[in-house]
Amino acid sequence: MIERHSRWSLVAWLLAALLVLFVAGPLVRLLIQASPASLGQAFRDPELVASIWLTVVTASVATLLSLLLGVPLAYLLARVPFPGRRIVAGIVELPVVVPHPVAGIALLLFLGRQSPIGRVLADAGLEIVNSVGGIVAGMLFVSAPIVVSASREAFRAVDPKLERVARTLGDTAWGAFRRVTLPLAGRGVLAGAVLSWARSVSEFGSIVILTFNPKVASILIYDRFTLFGLPAAVPAAVVLLLMALVVFLLVQLLAPDRTVGDRR
Amino acid sequence: MIRLEDVSVTLGNFSLRDVSLEVPPGGYGLVIGPTGSGKTTLLEAVAGHVALRNGRILLRGEDVSREAPETRRVGFVYQHYHLFPHFSVRENIGYGIREPGAGSRDQRVLELAEMLGLVPLLDRGVEGLSGGEQQRVALARALAPRPSILLLDEPLAAVDPATRRALRRELRLLHEREGVTTLQVTHDFEDAMRLGDVVAVLAGGRIAQSGSPESVFRFPNSPFVAEFIGTGTVLRGVVERASPDPAAEKPFGARFRSGTLELEVVAEREGEAYAVLRPADLLVSRGSLPGPAPRNRLAATVTRVEHGSAVAHVSVDVSGIGLVAAITTATAEELALRPGDPVVVSIKATAIHLI
Repeated sequence: MIERHSRWSLVAWLLAALLVLFVAGPLVRLLIQASPASLGQAFRDPELVASIWLTVVTASVATLLSLLLGVPLAYLLARVPFPGRRIVAGIVELPVVVPHPVAGIALLLFLGRQSPIGRVLADAGLEIVNSVGGIVAGMLFVSAPIVVSASREAFRAVDPKLERVARTLGDTAWGAFRRVTLPLAGRGVLAGAVLSWARSVSEFGSIVILTFNPKVASILIYDRFTLFGLPAAVPAAVVLLLMALVVFLLVQLLAPDRTVGDRR
Repeated sequence: MIRLEDVSVTLGNFSLRDVSLEVPPGGYGLVIGPTGSGKTTLLEAVAGHVALRNGRILLRGEDVSREAPETRRVGFVYQHYHLFPHFSVRENIGYGIREPGAGSRDQRVLELAEMLGLVPLLDRGVEGLSGGEQQRVALARALAPRPSILLLDEPLAAVDPATRRALRRELRLLHEREGVTTLQVTHDFEDAMRLGDVVAVLAGGRIAQSGSPESVFRFPNSPFVAEFIGTGTVLRGVVERASPDPAAEKPFGARFRSGTLELEVVAEREGEAYAVLRPADLLVSRGSLPGPAPRNRLAATVTRVEHGSAVAHVSVDVSGIGLVAAITTATAEELALRPGDPVVVSIKATAIHLI
């Protein structure tokens, strides 16, 4: 029995090590590939710097929009038993299973100049196709579900009776949300926002269809790879990877304290 | 004053139906009922957290049925306290104080902290507080905005017996000192006996009986109430009039039969009935009792003796029917009762409550 246990443990360790190597290996290899000189050159490359700046700004705008529209929805999904709640929750999760080029085509049809909404937006000066608006739309489509999902779980972890107590102590519904629920769910919401931002930064599939130019970082890397080969793409890829690693560390720091949920 | 008039609430599959109840100004009302009977829902309806399907709620004489919780001026303490985990004890207590000026706010917090023995804890977080401490903080927080109504959801259920006794005393003192009309829900009738001016027994979303704790305890109106609040042994049987002549010496003299047991009772009606025999009304002796003998003298066998600090509960078997008598420990020691001992159990006909 003991021998079978230890054999199984050995197999488990081997399989686990293979997967960790498969995930970490390429990333480490990429980081090694870039020399400090080529990295320094990358940071002085005006096209790459502009592209990264564009990526950061559009991802930030998409994240703010995700928070503005997604947090109220997450709160309703967590707290209010309205008819069709499961359907709404399912719709918001849909982008997770839709292939991203398909999302790009769907957005093009829905927000392009040929659609009524697209015409209204264009008349209002908000062009979606081949513009910054298209980049934000693509990012918002793929990243909003992350904000909604993380915020909903964060709100669910806050006991509704805390809000009720706050109401009997004189708070309005908004006051109880602002003073009690949001501070307690804040870390979860923020972690969702950071992940959503990271997802926006890495988006390629829908943006390449909506807005090839101006180029966000992921499209610039792809463009350089197809035009000039691997050596031209590596420094830009490393810069993007470093950005992703910083965000990853942030998420780890912001991960909700599970003991809070456990205690209740 | 708290007044509920035919209040009905539906929450999922559960309903509160036609609940009417009144706690006078400055009074202490208790709603007692088993788990799932709708006690917390009733309090939440009074606080405005759940919408009424029917009926109305009057607080201080005003109809507040459609008012938001924040305008009802009620304090609410949940069973599990629900202190704000991101605030200190001081911030928790001061949360609802809207009086202008930090000075008056601090003064009110200190006043309540002193009253409830919380001063050393004021600057601590709420994590790590004992159950009794958390309960006191929750009470102080609810009382801080000077509500005229206080709603307590099983405030003594989650603490140890010693803390429960201390908190029960504090609740009564606080109630007298602050003069807040209080409605408490509990599943423990002892809370009702010690705290309540008015008690209502809730069963399956309806009020089964209400009145003073003493009257509900002595005269339960249904076998459920008698059994739930522990009035005594409930026997199902039939009442037969002793004499059909209303001009007889004892016009209400009757006999109650339950299996092989036959008891003299006082009854105005005949037919199926429940007899409630209170433990304190049953006398236990080894032979004949001194003084005038009660009408009902039953040969019995002791099956169990439970000694308490002041009262001993003696379980006896009377022709296959189990009864419980409560006697003083001094009497129990004097009688030296052991399981299997033959005894005589006596009860006055007037002490048997028929339902």
